[in-house]
Amino acid sequence: MEYNGGSVVAMVGKDCVAIACDLRLGNQALGVSSNFPKIFPITDRIYLGMSGLATDLETLRERFRFRVNMYTIKEEREIEPQTFAHLVSSTLYEHRFGPYFIEPVIAGLSKTPSGDLKPFIAAADLIGCLNFAKDFVVSGTASAKIYGLAEALWEPDLEPEDLFETISQTLMNAVDRDAFSGWGCLVHVLTKDKVITRTLKSRMD
Amino acid sequence: MSRSYDRALTVFSPDGHLFQVEYALEAVRKGTCAVGVRGKDVVVLGVEKKSVLQLQDPRTVRKVVMLDDHVCLAFAGLTADGRVLIDKARIECQSHRLTVEDPVTVEYITRHIAGIQQRYTQSGGVRPFGISTLIIGFDPHDTRPRLYQTEPSGIYSAWKANAIGRSSKTVREFLEKNHKDDLSRDEAIKLTVKSLLEVVQTGAKNIEISVMESYGKVTSLALPEIEAIVAEIEREKEAEAERKRSRLAATAAGQAAMSLRAGDAGGTSGQ
Amino acid sequence: MEVSFALTGKDYVIVAADTTAARSIVKMKTDQDKIKILSPHLLMAYSGEPGDTLQFAEYVERNIRLYQIRNLYALSPSAAASWIRRSLAESLRSRNSYAVNLLVGGFDTTTQEPHLYWIDYLGTMTEIPFGAHGYGSYFALSLLDRYHDPDASLEEGLATLKRCIDEVSKRLVVSPDRYKVKVVDKDGVREVEL
Repeated sequence: MEYNGGSVVAMVGKDCVAIACDLRLGNQALGVSSNFPKIFPITDRIYLGMSGLATDLETLRERFRFRVNMYTIKEEREIEPQTFAHLVSSTLYEHRFGPYFIEPVIAGLSKTPSGDLKPFIAAADLIGCLNFAKDFVVSGTASAKIYGLAEALWEPDLEPEDLFETISQTLMNAVDRDAFSGWGCLVHVLTKDKVITRTLKSRMD
Repeated sequence: MSRSYDRALTVFSPDGHLFQVEYALEAVRKGTCAVGVRGKDVVVLGVEKKSVLQLQDPRTVRKVVMLDDHVCLAFAGLTADGRVLIDKARIECQSHRLTVEDPVTVEYITRHIAGIQQRYTQSGGVRPFGISTLIIGFDPHDTRPRLYQTEPSGIYSAWKANAIGRSSKTVREFLEKNHKDDLSRDEAIKLTVKSLLEVVQTGAKNIEISVMESYGKVTSLALPEIEAIVAEIEREKEAEAERKRSRLAATAAGQAAMSLRAGDAGGTSGQ
Repeated sequence: MEVSFALTGKDYVIVAADTTAARSIVKMKTDQDKIKILSPHLLMAYSGEPGDTLQFAEYVERNIRLYQIRNLYALSPSAAASWIRRSLAESLRSRNSYAVNLLVGGFDTTTQEPHLYWIDYLGTMTEIPFGAHGYGSYFALSLLDRYHDPDASLEEGLATLKRCIDEVSKRLVVSPDRYKVKVVDKDGVREVEL
């Protein structure tokens, strides 16, 4: 996990979710790239973040894209966040005894039977053990620090802009204390009618 | 395993024929015609192009393809089979470069293609390729042009000039009559077009010509160039016919005059 | 010790690699070309485990060429880099993997843009404005942070490259003395003398 570095966090708000990552790609202590996003859109309302070994991150991104495309074609509908979370879990568990070194974080808005959209977040370990949290999920080299800040800053039912501020402050202040994460952040806030995407400038040391 | 007996489609008939291979040759005979002509230091491939449908893109229908920088292939028969065989040949070209750091020789790739074709006449659960191929090219570090042919049975052979596909017999006989050693570039192209015109009625727009002049130097002639050659051939034919006509007329006139004189001398006979 | 650099500029990518072939502490050769020309607008500098490097580079070269013959056009730099990355990632989890680090530079003729990709033996890939592999990276990256300009002319780009090479010569204990430098732009690939 410390080979390339990187951190991801996702949080629930009021009718919205946020997911954020840092932008560093390292080769142990050496920084290689300051523009290496770790969050990818899966559908219009599911975003997947991954931290860990960068080669597996790219391989899994290709794999999930393939499996979600096949799902969409066969089922003739978009995949739901819960379904996708289980797809991620089973993909990782397939490699139980030679795992991909990735800890995924999923943020999405799921459809309720009444047609409303409900915030959804989940995380998993590198062999696919799912963790459905109601507040926030974290992964990566700065995860311990993110937990601390999120525990202090997060509160229930935050509006999109407040949630953006909370997740940004949480991630930025956490990665600034981590040698393997940082070099800028990327934040997505998913709401009912739009996705707010912002890149943050942060300390470059 | 009793199943392994009935898997093979290509089994001998009691009198020693492989019917599947002969049917494959039949598919070749139904395919469009392709001609190859070897000159002094040039080799030419000519193919009859099927006229495409009005709304079809003619560039997507190809009968002449490159296997590598220096080898070119034309085929006659089932296009779908051709594509598969071509892909196998292309992989072999690159694989050969990778393993021995040298491009393939024309004979090597011909032998390889013929080898694949042969394999498909002898193994179970497969049918032969319904194509014959003409392969032209130059060997690396060599100036001699090469022309080879392969058949569904896996036979391959080298030629000075040859034709495959529809009416190939007519064209081959024409080539046998008209081919000379050491043809120049223009002569070789002209002979190719001329022989193709034996079977292509619709003229230049249904002919495609590829010329290889040295290692890796391949050009395919544009329509106006082919049209010019066709026009020239037609002019020559016209002139030839004119000469024949006038000679015929002269002999006829001579004969008439003779019979007239004979008539003068011996009175009218049977008129 | 192997060193390779690459940087982008205005409509070009410069790729440079040292030319020494070493075995243990002995220099066997000082004119080894470690930059492959993969297609008319694509370059790849390779370094790593001797043997693996050339074997993998040639494997890539032949496959890129095969694609070109099959489809009558070359892969774009991004597509080629993705394919190469995947080959390495698949090799990593196979019985014996290639230990090869790459810098893939190309000019995309469809969008008229230069692209540079940093790929390591694990299959980690990222697009970068400049990058390096080997011990040279510890000296050159900080210099490039300071002096790299994405809109620099070719002359300025080569001058920046010269700075990196000079720094490595000055500070690295066992620095290579010769480099091969290749440039790719809209006119294709060419070698330049520093």
